[in-house]
Amino acid sequence: MSFTLKYKDINEEREISSDNYTIKDLLNELEVSAQTMVSKQNGELVIEDTVINDGDEIQLVQIIYGG
Amino acid sequence: MKCSKCGNPKVIIKREQSGQLLCKDCFIESIEKKVIKTVRKEKLLDKGDKVLVALSGGKDSVTTLEILNSFREMNVIDICAVTVDEGIDNYRQDGVDIAVRHAKRLGIEHKVVSLKEEYGITLDEIMQRENHKGSCSYCGVFRRTVINKAAREMGATKIATGHNLDDEVQAIMMNYLEGNMDNLTKLGAKTESKAEEFTVKIKPLREIPEREIGIYVVAKELEVHFDSCPYAMQSFRGEISEVINQLAEKHPTIKYSTLRGYDKIKGILKNELVKDYAHGRCEKCGEPSSNRLCKACSFLEELGCD
Repeated sequence: MSFTLKYKDINEEREISSDNYTIKDLLNELEVSAQTMVSKQNGELVIEDTVINDGDEIQLVQIIYGG
Repeated sequence: MKCSKCGNPKVIIKREQSGQLLCKDCFIESIEKKVIKTVRKEKLLDKGDKVLVALSGGKDSVTTLEILNSFREMNVIDICAVTVDEGIDNYRQDGVDIAVRHAKRLGIEHKVVSLKEEYGITLDEIMQRENHKGSCSYCGVFRRTVINKAAREMGATKIATGHNLDDEVQAIMMNYLEGNMDNLTKLGAKTESKAEEFTVKIKPLREIPEREIGIYVVAKELEVHFDSCPYAMQSFRGEISEVINQLAEKHPTIKYSTLRGYDKIKGILKNELVKDYAHGRCEKCGEPSSNRLCKACSFLEELGCD
């Protein structure tokens, strides 16, 4: 069970590490604030409570930068 | 989970402040309606206005342009735009290119003004000087001067900036905590200067949270420059922003209530605190100034660029 993560220069396959693994769990693992990001699942905007499925492409876009 | 408005299961945002869930179309519509409501409530536009959008190519200014353009399409206003190229290597050019493309897409009058052409020095060059006063001081002053000048040259009656709810709440708290009551009275949706050379400034996005503007541009697939200025450093504004965002996690309506509270006391503050402005002129450039030199000319003199 894996998904593709696209975030800045990252483009990699990652394992889905638990049942009901959500985008929020992924953001926590990456130690990035959900407040500064928007997430796309297979090209469509989704909220952070969305569960990641096998084969998904998850793209994270940073929308808030300091300064 | 379904959109609170239309029932569409494809929800793209959960608004913590209201518990509302929205799909893409309803979210885009809600942002545009809210901005239009602010424009009407605060009387930001008059029919026949020519509005100069300060267009950096970032999410806030692109959103401002996009939504104000709906008033242009209804023939209520005309729009032009200016982009200031501060001269920051590996950062500014992308924003300038994006701004040029948006102006072209919408068919609006647009000019790019570089600090190098205007003052003979870039921000990068200023930052190499010893004893500089910090990038944001120069950038803020020069940008403001260039935008005011462009407004006069392009015949604009209003200047629209992309200040959002987070920016405005940070400014309220910063000025209050620093005891800077003079600046505190100058905030608001529409700032008017007594000097007629300064064009009226409007902030149509003042009630939209920064994060929602980010989601709006991604949802509308608007090309914007998402990047951090290399000179952005740990500023007081950054510290204030962190505290407010921390508070907002448990108190999601706190940014709105801070803004509402300020709007209620603003009139009283102005009556009590606003000083009579000196109607002087900068003896070098002729811009309005209460001192011998305006801030921009005084910086240029210090930098030896006069």
